[in-house]
Amino acid sequence: MDLFVQTIINGLILGSGYALVAVGLTVIFGTLHIVNFAHGAFFALGAYGVLLLQNTGLGYLVAIPLAVVGVAVIGYLLEVTIVRRALYDRGEHGSIIITFALSQAIVASIILIVGPDPLPVRSPFGQTAISVFGFFLSAQRVFIAVTSVIVLTAFAWWLRHSVRGQQILAVSQNAKGALYSGINVPFIRSFSFLLGISAAGLAGALLAPLIAAFPTMGDANVIVAFTVVILGGLGSIGGAMLGAMVIGLSNALFETYVSVSWTPALGWMLVIFVLLFWPQGLLGRAQINRH
Amino acid sequence: MSTVSIAPLKLQRSGRTLPVAQLLLLFAGLGFILVVGLTVESPFLLNLAAYTCGFALFALSVNIILGGVGEVPLGHCMFFGIGAYAPAIAMNNAGLPYELGIAMGMVVAAVAALLIGWLTLRLTGAYFSIVSWGLSGVAMVTVHNLDFAGGALGLFGFSRLAIGPFDFSTPRTYFLATALILLLVLVILAHVRSSRFGRALESIRQGRHLAQSLGINVFRERLKALVLSAPIAALAGSLCLPFSQIVTPEIMSVLRTVDALLAVLIGGTGLLYGPVIGSVIFTVAPQFLNFDANVKVLVFSLLIIFVMMVAPGGLHQIFKALLTRLSRSKAGQP
Repeated sequence: MDLFVQTIINGLILGSGYALVAVGLTVIFGTLHIVNFAHGAFFALGAYGVLLLQNTGLGYLVAIPLAVVGVAVIGYLLEVTIVRRALYDRGEHGSIIITFALSQAIVASIILIVGPDPLPVRSPFGQTAISVFGFFLSAQRVFIAVTSVIVLTAFAWWLRHSVRGQQILAVSQNAKGALYSGINVPFIRSFSFLLGISAAGLAGALLAPLIAAFPTMGDANVIVAFTVVILGGLGSIGGAMLGAMVIGLSNALFETYVSVSWTPALGWMLVIFVLLFWPQGLLGRAQINRH
Repeated sequence: MSTVSIAPLKLQRSGRTLPVAQLLLLFAGLGFILVVGLTVESPFLLNLAAYTCGFALFALSVNIILGGVGEVPLGHCMFFGIGAYAPAIAMNNAGLPYELGIAMGMVVAAVAALLIGWLTLRLTGAYFSIVSWGLSGVAMVTVHNLDFAGGALGLFGFSRLAIGPFDFSTPRTYFLATALILLLVLVILAHVRSSRFGRALESIRQGRHLAQSLGINVFRERLKALVLSAPIAALAGSLCLPFSQIVTPEIMSVLRTVDALLAVLIGGTGLLYGPVIGSVIFTVAPQFLNFDANVKVLVFSLLIIFVMMVAPGGLHQIFKALLTRLSRSKAGQP
C-alpha cells in the first residue's frame, strides 16, 4: 500500500513535468498547425543551457531563467531563418521532414560542441528528501512539480485574460478570421512558437538534475509529450495537462509493477494505442485526419 | 489538412508507349554495372558500391510510401532491421544458410507490414508519421530485450555470407549480385508504376477523397503499397549485412529512416530512379569527405532542410529551374 501511494505521488510529479513539454507542443500545433518533431531538441537545449551556465559559476536557480532565454533566442534565430520561410501554410509533409531534420541537426550540434556523454547537472535540492506523512519525496521532484504548476497556472490565466493571450487563442481557432479582425497573425505565430519551445526548454532545465544532460534526452520526453497531447487532444491546452497526469501515472505504475527495461517502449505503445482508438483525444475536436 | 504532395508528378506520358526508352535505360544500367563490376579493382570501392546498391533498395522502398502513397514513413527502419536480423539470427542461432534467412526476413517483413498497415494506415499525415516512429521505437526496445538477438551488443561473426555459388565475402561478386538485384527491383517497380495499381495509388496521393469517390478502395491500395515496400526494405537490410558485418539494435534507429528519406529527397520523389541517384550521392560523398559521424548528421540534416525549402521535388528541380531561366534569358535577347 505504501509503495502504491508512493508510486502515485511519483507519477503525479512526473506528470507535472510532462505537462510543460506537452503544453508547448500543443500551443505550437494549435496556432501553427505544425507537429513539432524538434520539440525534444529544445528540451535538451534547455538542459545544456543550465549546464553551461553552471560551468561559468552561476547558481542553478539563476541559470534556469537564463537558459530559457537562451533557448528562446536560438528558437527565434531558427524561426526567422527556417520555420517562418518553410513551414507556415505549407503542406504537412514538409513540416514533418523539416522539423525532424532540425531536431537531428540540433542533437548533432550538441554532440559536436559538448560531446556525447551524459553530464550531471547540479542542483541545490540535490540529494535532500522531504518527508510528507511518512512518504519520501526528493526535493528536486517537488521543485519541478511546484514550478511547473505555477508556470502552467500563470500561462493559462494569461491566455484567458490578456489581450495577447486571447489573440493566440483566436489564431489557433481561426487564423483567417483573426487576420480579418486585425490581429497580427505572423507576429502571433512567431510568438507562439517561441512560447512553445521556451516551455520545452524550461522543462529540460528543470528535469536535467534528475536524468543528467545527454544529447538525445529529448527523444524519450518528446514521445511522451506526443502521447500526452494526442491523448488530451492535439491543440487543447487543458487536454494536455489532463493527459500529462494520466501518462505520468501510467509510466510510474508500469515502472514499479511491470518492468523497468521495457518502460521506454510504454510511451511508444501508448502513442500507438491512443492514436488508433481515440484519434481525437479526450478533450480534442474531431479530427478530419482520418478516413 | 491538404494532401498535396511535396512533388506533384508531371502527368505521365502513357507509360506503355515508351518501351524503347525503358529498354535502353535497362541496358545502360546493365552495361554500367558490368563495366564497374569488371574494371574497378579496389575492394573498398566495390564493397562501397555494393552497399550503395543495398541502400538504394531501402531508399526505393521508402519512396514507395513517400513519393507513392504520400506519407512520411518514419518507421521503415523496422523493416530494414527485420531484414538484417533475420539472416543474422538464422545463421548464428539455427545454422541456416544466408539465402534462407533473407527469404525469411522478407516474409516476416511482409506479414509485419500487413498487420501494421491494417492498424495504422487509417491514419494520415503527422498521425501516421508519429505512429510509425513509435513502432520503430518499440522495435528497438524489443530487440534490446531479446536474448537471442544478442541484446545491446547485437549479432556478429557470421559463417558464410553467400547466395548459392555467389560468395559475398568477395567484393566483386557482392557488388555484381547486389547491383543486379537492384536492377531487377527497379524493373519490377517500373511495371508496378504503370500498372492499374500504380495509377490508383497516384490518384490517391493527389486526392484521397476524389479517388474514394471514383470507387478506389483507398485503404486497400495503401495497404498493398506498404506490403509491397516492406520486403524490399528487408531485402535491403539483408544485403547490407555483408558490408556492416554486424547487426545491433541501432539498426532500428529512426536515424536510418531519416538517411533514406534524405536520399529520396535529394534524388527526387517523383522519379523512379531518383532514390538511386540520391543514395549514390548520399553514401559515396561522405566516404571521401572523411566526415565524423555527427558532422555527417549535421550536414545532411541541414541539407534536408535546404532541399525542402528550395527544391521540394529533389535537386534536379534546381537544375531544371536554372535551365529554363537560361533558355528564357537567351530567348529574351535577340
